[in-house]
Amino acid sequence: MTSPIVDVADLSHVYMQGTPLAHRALDRVSIQVERGECIAIIGHTGSGKSTLIQHLNGLMRPQSGKVVVNGLDVSDPKVDIRLLRRQVGLVFQNPEDQLFEKLVGDDIAYGPFKMGLPIAEVKERVEWAMELVGLSFDEMKDRPTFALSGGQKRKVALAGVLALRPHVLVLDEPTAGLDPRSRNELLQRILRLNQEEGLTVIFVSHNMEEVARLAQRVYVMANGQIACEGTPRRIFGNSSLLQEHHIGTPEAVDILYQLREQGYAVDTGSFLPEEAAAEILNLIKR
Amino acid sequence: MSTEFELSRNITIGQYLPTNSVVHRLDPRFKLAAFVIMILAIAICSTYVGNLFALAVCIGMFWVSKIPLHYGLSGVKPAIPFIIILATLQLLFYGEIARGGTIYFQYGFITISSESVRLVLVSAMRFVEVIFLSSVLTLSTSTTELTHGMERLLGPLQKVKFPVHAFALIITIAIRFVPTFAMEMEKMMKAQASRGADFGTGEWWRIIRRTKDMLPIIIPLFNVALARAEDLILAMEARCYMPGASRTQYTHYKATGKDYSALIISIMISVIMLYIPW
Repeated sequence: MTSPIVDVADLSHVYMQGTPLAHRALDRVSIQVERGECIAIIGHTGSGKSTLIQHLNGLMRPQSGKVVVNGLDVSDPKVDIRLLRRQVGLVFQNPEDQLFEKLVGDDIAYGPFKMGLPIAEVKERVEWAMELVGLSFDEMKDRPTFALSGGQKRKVALAGVLALRPHVLVLDEPTAGLDPRSRNELLQRILRLNQEEGLTVIFVSHNMEEVARLAQRVYVMANGQIACEGTPRRIFGNSSLLQEHHIGTPEAVDILYQLREQGYAVDTGSFLPEEAAAEILNLIKR
Repeated sequence: MSTEFELSRNITIGQYLPTNSVVHRLDPRFKLAAFVIMILAIAICSTYVGNLFALAVCIGMFWVSKIPLHYGLSGVKPAIPFIIILATLQLLFYGEIARGGTIYFQYGFITISSESVRLVLVSAMRFVEVIFLSSVLTLSTSTTELTHGMERLLGPLQKVKFPVHAFALIITIAIRFVPTFAMEMEKMMKAQASRGADFGTGEWWRIIRRTKDMLPIIIPLFNVALARAEDLILAMEARCYMPGASRTQYTHYKATGKDYSALIISIMISVIMLYIPW
């Protein structure tokens, strides 16, 4: 077995340390992510999810504990932080706020230019990144950024991070505030990045449908700690755990739980709409 | 060393530290008035002992309001360069004006006398005192209380058609949004850093390059600020806010003996400061 691409061990972080307002955001958090995995981090607001992912590309340095990403030790003060940030592409919440260039192409090219790449390669990367998020290079590269729709802006922002060619893509609530169509399309794109480009994906989400659809493994955070970890099947199949940590369930799972309460024998471990439908069909046939 | 981007922590303006001390519970109108009196006294007082006394009073204020002194010191730290520049300029160019006392050193236009040294030291002390005092004021008074107090104190100006309410509202909004924009800026810096931007790594004399480095933050920040302003307008209009309409007050302050004594104490301190002859 190869070593995990993201290895967080006993990470703790206290905000406003040494003041009466001190607040422990992370408390001995450990997560391991293998190359090519798609991981979801879920949990209540204030459970420490954002603080955790900011450690992954060195925006925050560990106060205690260890964070190693692709062999780079984030706690080492001499680590090449720019190299680290190229390996881990972090996409913030509402990333469309960060666009600043007049034209779409220029904005996506910002990262590669900052890396000091020759112009031909920058162009090639912009084209590659735009195709990945589903924006036509020829059609969109000279469009003004302010004239785009919300969904398109978010794709541009995502392309701006992808153009760095990261090994790990970290997304903070990638679909928050999008309309259902853009949401679906973006999820498709992320899934394809993971499956076809082999990108390791870590995403934070409040939307359980999304988690059910994308994630291979789920980390549940509560009060700055990892409350539990497992496959979506295991997590969504455990109703007492979900209730304890105030986590919602995908609608499909909700229906199955309700059926079971009514006395029907259904497998509540199914969490995808298709699986739930199959369970219900089984019931009807019987 | 995780503080690279923690901007909101460094902004002390508008930061309120609830320790529920006597100072915290004072009527904001009286607190503000006492504060203004003390600041005036500090501005006038130009003696060594008077300023040392004022400094002691300021430090005592931290103790009375149960606020750790390092809050005040962290306010002084960023001002140190200014204090040093000011002191140097005064030392070099004020000798001619503040002539008097014994002359220690004279060369060309540079005159250093006991009077100009006094000016330098007293200005530095004043600086620290003013920072300490305003830190205590903002740390012990929430911004709403502060603007309420200000609005009431300025109330009489309404007679000469001064838009007191609008003025108070502007200040409230400005102070209210300082932490918001600090957070917004922090987020923006992190987002751009994630895309390969770096800030403050260029040599300091390459001002143009360093300014250009800031563009990816400044432009989106303006966008966000304008969007927020529009939201705020809508929210206010949705609640029927009318500029210039007559308004009733939600909070009423009633001065007690404590508040009067705070005012009297501040006047006494000021009188002592101004009457110390050395």
